[in-house]
Amino acid sequence: MKQICLIVNNKHYDILVDEHELLSTVIREKIGLSGTKIGCEQGSCGACTVLLNNKSVLSCITPVMSCDGAEITTIEALAENGHLHKLQQKFVERGAIQCGFCTPGMVMTAISLVPTLDKNESPEKLREQIKEGISGNLCRCTGYKKIIDAVIDYTLDKPISEISKSNNSVSQLKTVGKPRPYIEAEKKAKGEAEFADDISFKNALHCKFLRSIYPHAIIEEIDLRAAKKLPGVRYIATGKELPITFGVLPISQDENAIAINKVRYVGEIVAAVAADTEEIAAEACKLIQVKYKPIKAFLTIDESLNDAGDNEKIHDYGKFNNNIHKKAELRFGDQQQGLKEADISYKMDFDFEGINHGFTEPHASIAFWDENGLTIHTATQVPHYLHRALAKVMEVPLSRVRVIKPYIGGGFGGKSDPFAHEIIVAHLARKTGKTVKVRLTREEVFLTNHGRHPTKMTIKMGFSKDGYIQVLDADVAIDGGAYGSFGVVTTYYNGVLLQAPYKLSNFGFRTYRVYTNKPQCGAMRGHGAVNTRFAVESIIDDLSYKVKIDPCELRMKNFLDSNTITVGQYRITSNGSRESLQKVMELSDWENRFGKLEKGHGLGVACGFFISGSALPIIWNELPQSVVHLKLDFDGRVLVTSGASDIGQGSDTMLAIIVAEVLGINMENIFVLGADTLLTPVDFGSYSSRVTFMAGNAAKDAAENLRKELIESISKQKQVDKLDFYFENDRIFTNDKSVDLSWLEAVEILTAKRGAVSVSGKYISPKLGGDFKGAGAGLSPSYSFGACVTEVKVDIETGQVDVVNIWGAHDCGKAINPLAVEGQLEGSWHMGMGQAVSEQMKYYKGMLLNNNFLDYKIPTSLDTPDINSSIIETFDPEGPFGAKEAGEGAIHPVIPAIANAVYNAVGVRITKLPISSEDILNKISENELFNNKIIQ
Amino acid sequence: MAIEKQYIKANTIEDAISEAANNSGNFVFLAGGTDIFPNKFQENNLSDCLIDISNIDELKSINHSDDFLVIGALTTLDELRKNDFIIQNFPTLIEAAISVGTPVIRKSATLGGNLLCENRCHFYNQSAWWREAAGHCLKCGGDICLANGGKKYCYSKFVSDTAIALISLNAKIEIASKTKTEIIPIEEIYSGDGINHLKLDETSIIKSIQIPLNKTVKSVYMKLRHRKSMEFSSLTTSVTLFKDEKIKIVLGAIAPNPIIIEGKKGDNYQDIIDIASKKSKIVFNDNYSRAYRKNMIHVFLNRCFVELQLIEN
Repeated sequence: MKQICLIVNNKHYDILVDEHELLSTVIREKIGLSGTKIGCEQGSCGACTVLLNNKSVLSCITPVMSCDGAEITTIEALAENGHLHKLQQKFVERGAIQCGFCTPGMVMTAISLVPTLDKNESPEKLREQIKEGISGNLCRCTGYKKIIDAVIDYTLDKPISEISKSNNSVSQLKTVGKPRPYIEAEKKAKGEAEFADDISFKNALHCKFLRSIYPHAIIEEIDLRAAKKLPGVRYIATGKELPITFGVLPISQDENAIAINKVRYVGEIVAAVAADTEEIAAEACKLIQVKYKPIKAFLTIDESLNDAGDNEKIHDYGKFNNNIHKKAELRFGDQQQGLKEADISYKMDFDFEGINHGFTEPHASIAFWDENGLTIHTATQVPHYLHRALAKVMEVPLSRVRVIKPYIGGGFGGKSDPFAHEIIVAHLARKTGKTVKVRLTREEVFLTNHGRHPTKMTIKMGFSKDGYIQVLDADVAIDGGAYGSFGVVTTYYNGVLLQAPYKLSNFGFRTYRVYTNKPQCGAMRGHGAVNTRFAVESIIDDLSYKVKIDPCELRMKNFLDSNTITVGQYRITSNGSRESLQKVMELSDWENRFGKLEKGHGLGVACGFFISGSALPIIWNELPQSVVHLKLDFDGRVLVTSGASDIGQGSDTMLAIIVAEVLGINMENIFVLGADTLLTPVDFGSYSSRVTFMAGNAAKDAAENLRKELIESISKQKQVDKLDFYFENDRIFTNDKSVDLSWLEAVEILTAKRGAVSVSGKYISPKLGGDFKGAGAGLSPSYSFGACVTEVKVDIETGQVDVVNIWGAHDCGKAINPLAVEGQLEGSWHMGMGQAVSEQMKYYKGMLLNNNFLDYKIPTSLDTPDINSSIIETFDPEGPFGAKEAGEGAIHPVIPAIANAVYNAVGVRITKLPISSEDILNKISENELFNNKIIQ
Repeated sequence: MAIEKQYIKANTIEDAISEAANNSGNFVFLAGGTDIFPNKFQENNLSDCLIDISNIDELKSINHSDDFLVIGALTTLDELRKNDFIIQNFPTLIEAAISVGTPVIRKSATLGGNLLCENRCHFYNQSAWWREAAGHCLKCGGDICLANGGKKYCYSKFVSDTAIALISLNAKIEIASKTKTEIIPIEEIYSGDGINHLKLDETSIIKSIQIPLNKTVKSVYMKLRHRKSMEFSSLTTSVTLFKDEKIKIVLGAIAPNPIIIEGKKGDNYQDIIDIASKKSKIVFNDNYSRAYRKNMIHVFLNRCFVELQLIEN
């Protein structure tokens, strides 16, 4: 150990450090400035960027000894006297902050970038310079656009925009529909928002895991003796201590927190150490001796379809003699007849690699037990299901578990299961009587996975010669990895979510999910429907060339109407498919440009739709899908409590907006307390794009109930009719002004002789759907719709695809907060682009090869075009103020739109994702369409 | 517990060399650290002693005489980009430098460090746990190569992008060791063995890179990568046409060392491309397939020749 001096944010620190210690560790753990984030530990995400003597450096690969005597500036130094730095302010205003995890690094990078920019450059060149400058900072939420906008505004010193200016003036709404930054945006901009790994407790132990090195093996013996002797080791847990299984779905409770008897993938947890420091825990893991007996591993869908020998099945349960986990099948109409009658029929095979959510914040949890039972702070999208899983596995009553969600650095479905590490820290905390903390490395995050399933499928479609869809039949196999997760739902979604946005009468699917000896797959943005949507949109595109009908026109012909029922009995309410497609056609100048670009340059289009929340709960019960409580006290503040998880998508802000709108009060009077299972009423969580619709409706219901209470008390006191009350501009009044009260005066009346008033609101989905097995899958009170046009340039010698433009439009019913909706859309299109052109989970003998942000290729700012987003509003009759989802549906159209643009550019039909330069190149040479320029 | 880790700050070249000798076999020189720390994180570099040379001022200057541009080894990749003389005379060196890593990495990463950047392979650049699970490869102490189907030779990928541009420019490297200072062509420091890709005495220090002036007509540089930032190369090519009509073709990321072909104006360029392709030792060790990378050698070299106006498009 050596003593060094650091001047951090103008304050001197004399600290003892290990001679190889990293600057990031010292800043976060010794100095306690947790605004600097750790996303990858290998210098490939930029979240840890700080200034060292005014030069930006990656603190996770900078040795602290080299900083002796140096001046370090972290995100915490930028705001002065509580006022945001102008750059931070621009980030806030522009909606450049979603989850906020990349924000500190991004701001620090930008702050050192701006002085090097040439302000006199053209706007395009300036944008390019900024894109280049931030290309070492990964953001998974925003698609970078709003970040670049913020940096430009700051560089050119553009004045602070007035939020309300861009509002639609015809609207009667005062708060809903106005673009506004998240309520917590300033805190995130300052690096003060605490994520799970930022939370510290005195004397906490640290947890590390020993993970399996075999994909499929019997655990014969675990020898803990040497590890237990290591000073500082407090407890080592093995699987048999946690015999109760768990899983997010009641029908797939197939996971143990720590493997018992056998391991099912490389990376499965075999033992867990709690020790005084992370280093000691890691050292102890290395001292644990495990004797394995390898058994046959099943690594692909095809292998898992074969019959398995004795004791070779990955899971014993299940009725099949192979590793099939779930089969689903539904048919409507007559597919055989439909195919016979079709003028043109297609049968195409598709193949998709698995992908990972790539959220920038690694999983982290911290747990302790006290007189109230278990408390866990954890990076979760669904506190409610974790609450249930913890109670089950810990064998304690539900009332003894408290799950608290801190700020979450992105989820995208990847934080929506109960996780082994969460259960293990709870267990270790109980065994040691101490607080236990765990944070996963990026490699462990990839091993935990739960990402999009690798998928193989054969799709048959039949059309009339004038382009109407007559039949759609899908055979889909998905590779689930070692455990169930959301897989049964995914299996169904791959089929059922094909029944819109086009009219179908003959429709059927057979889907199945297999277990393989790889990290498990689960739910990821656009859950279950992304890959099959790609197939259908590709076939429709192909047809358009065959029948020589414009691909947009072909889609227009086939769209479902509003207020209709699909073949599988989904109730479609508002439907903005046509408006969305029309919009992207206009913006991309489709009619003038499609088919008129040079060789290698193309435009493509695709559409999509998604659920606005699942109408059925995962765990069958009669609780409402969401409950929101409001408490109004003498000070006029309304406390909104909701179990809904804000994971960076802005749901807390959405709740506040809705409550403010109904009560006609300023947002400053609203305080949101979210996702703490002790304090907040149950909401099922942030998955299936349900929060705006369901928690939003519950908030609206609650606010209306509070309004009634206010009217009741005021009309009683003032002896006026209850019918005629208005709530606007912090006032409550009647038309004749017999009542004309300020908000506080009204509150005074309500709380007189009563004190604080609490009201509750709820959302219960109406009964929906048909009466057949599987009818519940994909049922939603409402569906979103959308369309994308993309423009690509394909290098015809290398096959490399450059996505140069994305125009997207999405029907979200009504944008409660347009700034947040745009952010969700841009993020979806960016993420979809990643799946289209660069992302995949690559395995070697069951081992993930690209388990880091260098090799798992999330598009950087330089790879991402400026996304042009349009919000389409169709006003859903049941959504809060007409709103539907905006978080997931947008990802569906962008991926096939890119592939279809590639076809338009070079005549190569993409049937595998990610799009491979090599495939394109091989196919170009044998491609008649391209060589004869027929497509152009 | 582990041996006490050491960090030594060397203020002169002599200090650095003598500290290195004291810690022989268990140290690494530290300049920008952008290559070393990811390798330390993955436990591929287990040196207990870091000898920080980043303070040695004499390694930081950029000068030129009539014959040579001399770039101090500690010049960062970002500083290269800002030097007008380099911008004017050796734009391909700048292209190479800014194709490395990310902007923030280039502010720390040095030119000397980039020349010494450890070879890569996706069976090697993994955590200790992963490498154990895979069965250690040759480069991390195992018996066979996992990337080439179990052969006994390591074909880890040479990834220094600046080396490719510099070698093509006939640049030399000034190396100080305990006994002498010598100036040799850069290519001579690479062994061709993927396990230990450098032929340098471990205690020696790169002082400078020296590029001959007024010798070239034009030089071109290209890099194959999946994304436009944050990528090691899958194929780097640099071709320089000299005033004496000689041509130097250098390729990286397709063998454990740079592949060099010397030719002259008027040669059969297709033959040169074929030779390059034959000399390559591409194995399945990065994001692209072997066949594709091999195929791209043709495309990239062809483009280089076109850009040098040696052949028509």
